[in-house]
Amino acid sequence: MSDLDRAIEQLRACRLIPESQVRELCYKARELLIEEGNVVSVDAPVTICGDIHGQFHDLMELFRVGGDVPDTNYLFMGDFVDRGFYSLESFLLLLCLKVRYPDRITLIRGNHESRQITTVYGFYDECIRKYGSANVWRYCCEVFDYLALGAIVLGASSELEPSGSGVNNMTQSTMPVDDGELETEVLNSRGEVTMSTYRPRQRSSSDASTDSRNISPPRDISAAPGQTAAPARTGAPGTGASGDGNGSATTSRTGAVLCVHGGLSPLIDSVDKIRLIDRKQEVPHEGAMCDLLWSDPDEIEGWGLSPRGAGFLFGGDIVKQFNHLNGLSLVARAHQLVMEGYKEMFDGGIVTVWSAPNYCYRCGNVAAILELGEDTSSGGTVARSNGEYGRSNGVVGADNTVVSPGRRYRVFEAAAQDTRGMPAKKPVADYFL
Amino acid sequence: MAASQIPNLNLLRRGRGRGRGGSRGVEDGHSTRTSGKDRVVQGTDNDASVSRLSAVELGYLVDPYAKALTPPGSATRRFPIINRGMCAGSDTRVFRLFTSRRPSDVIYHEIDFAVNTAAKIRAIRSTPNLQRALELDPASNDVTVSEAGDALHTPFYHIHPCDLRSLSPNLPLSEALPGVDRTLPTLLISECCLIYLSPTEAAQVVTFFTGHLFGPTYAPFVGSEEVQSSPIIAPLGLILYEPIRPNDPFGRTMVSNLAARGIQLQTLNKYASLEAQRARLLEQGFEAGQAAADIDFIWERWVNEEEKERVAGLEMLDEMEEWRLLARHYCISWGWRNGNNPGAFSGWTTLQAQPGE
Repeated sequence: MSDLDRAIEQLRACRLIPESQVRELCYKARELLIEEGNVVSVDAPVTICGDIHGQFHDLMELFRVGGDVPDTNYLFMGDFVDRGFYSLESFLLLLCLKVRYPDRITLIRGNHESRQITTVYGFYDECIRKYGSANVWRYCCEVFDYLALGAIVLGASSELEPSGSGVNNMTQSTMPVDDGELETEVLNSRGEVTMSTYRPRQRSSSDASTDSRNISPPRDISAAPGQTAAPARTGAPGTGASGDGNGSATTSRTGAVLCVHGGLSPLIDSVDKIRLIDRKQEVPHEGAMCDLLWSDPDEIEGWGLSPRGAGFLFGGDIVKQFNHLNGLSLVARAHQLVMEGYKEMFDGGIVTVWSAPNYCYRCGNVAAILELGEDTSSGGTVARSNGEYGRSNGVVGADNTVVSPGRRYRVFEAAAQDTRGMPAKKPVADYFL
Repeated sequence: MAASQIPNLNLLRRGRGRGRGGSRGVEDGHSTRTSGKDRVVQGTDNDASVSRLSAVELGYLVDPYAKALTPPGSATRRFPIINRGMCAGSDTRVFRLFTSRRPSDVIYHEIDFAVNTAAKIRAIRSTPNLQRALELDPASNDVTVSEAGDALHTPFYHIHPCDLRSLSPNLPLSEALPGVDRTLPTLLISECCLIYLSPTEAAQVVTFFTGHLFGPTYAPFVGSEEVQSSPIIAPLGLILYEPIRPNDPFGRTMVSNLAARGIQLQTLNKYASLEAQRARLLEQGFEAGQAAADIDFIWERWVNEEEKERVAGLEMLDEMEEWRLLARHYCISWGWRNGNNPGAFSGWTTLQAQPGE
């Protein structure tokens, strides 16, 4: 067993590794991350995760629900540290996994991966407390500077392979199954389907605009009698793949998915502009890099000032335009607590994924991860681009929007801290008393 | 307390004088028995003082008195979300109030556990800054401190070591809260206080003030031949600040987290909503008006943009959603009765309240 595997084993048990090993790990991680572009390309299938915030026991629950590394391909959208009591264990484990399985786990930077923020929100103090000096904090911050700013997921399927484990009597479904393709599915931590939505199968380009984004019922089911028969579902379970090779006017290839911690920036109108940023630095207080890590979508038009004091608010029109210009079908981001674990906005143009259940041991929320299946209809070849191909090769509807990927949300609750034989201190959450 | 206090108060009565009762309190000076639960509640005072000091040191609040009233060595930097919130702590309001209104037209009463009042009086005695704020001359006869060091009386300021649960209508008024002028317009403030009592006890405390202490009084006879006039009913207001909404996921987590610390918010279920808070005020005699708003509402509507920007500039707040969640689970409710002075609370009628649940 290599030192790295031993470190992984130790960290999985929520036990820290020696400082010298952290130093070595961080050095190796930097060597690896420096080779990554600002926007990493990731092939579906992939499981996209939001904020972790040092909630180590919940990270273990996430792996239980989503599958282990390297079996599952993961993309974490930042905010590994701060707030929770196990930022070190959580981040170091993820980093070990990154070094051990670089092609099976992608880490991008969150606004908490910053020297300034970690001194306010707990990670710095945790390093001092657990290692007796700021050395480990410094090593980690150097790694933060090398983390990618975003990722592009390519080759996701527009249709989910049904998980087949539905609990029918508690499933809210938009039916009918026969004529629609499964677009979204929500599963609880026991793997039971609690909600699913379908959209009409794509018949021609003029029908593409009827897809049912935003988890709303399909609007045009009755108008679909002439559609092709339901495809034979031949994809491997869990990949979301379907055997939809039925020669309809369209292929089932979807637009690319941009993953970023916070959101968009008024200074960034194309994915390529993200690639031009000099990212290897502390997160600046303003500018494109800051915005990508700090901004939030909001029910406004255009851009607005953020109450966070950094980044911007951006409306549905901004998302729609950005997605269209970049051949994207979806922006996946984290950064904002959502009580249900995930939240789609703007007709499904953007989704917030939040992966820290009972955030800060206080908020009472559930968490979620988002699985995107692999599209096998094109014989497994995936176009390598930032998604710009999407407008010519992807499914283009009457309004030139590309089809969104099938989305499976696995929702989970906070892990019981005392039942896993791991050290856990009783967290104290602050209130006004 | 010495009966000689009372004439002082009458001499010092000013037109707009307002007393102040209520606080976080629950242990009395008579009993030496302190239950574990009471100690935990007493401890919330320190917790809140530490939060206040953190907010002061980071520039959220201006309060030169916070440090003197926080136990030495307990200073801790709180997360921005707590700094932004409201924190009471060994209340410094009297010092800030008296320094901002000179000459003082307010008589201020504080009621708390003896253990908390004694600590506060010690702090006052050892801190010239606090004495100056109160314009105390230690050499003067105006200041009396009880033998146990847990009660303090000056012409304008009274600290009562008192278990609120001991306030009973059977208690002679002169003993209950010495120094209270029952005829003055009076404002009661309860900051995260009554919620620690049982619903019955909490209601009894309010009734003690509305019906007994500030029940109808009669002007003293000036001459033996004068016929007794009609009763004086002092205008009386109550402001409550406490948690609400225990039944959503955040609220349920709050209840269980606090329970793990031994803190039981006993009236939380009974007064779980803004609506229930308003109904409570009406029921308890504040018939002229009842209103409520959660802290999220108050932050959004009462705090001006300039102040919001100032606060936003102090620390980057990466907890907007959490802040809103937390702020929606605390409310301020206020109610009043006009008594013999229909205009006493006219200023309150224009306050922006939050409609609905």
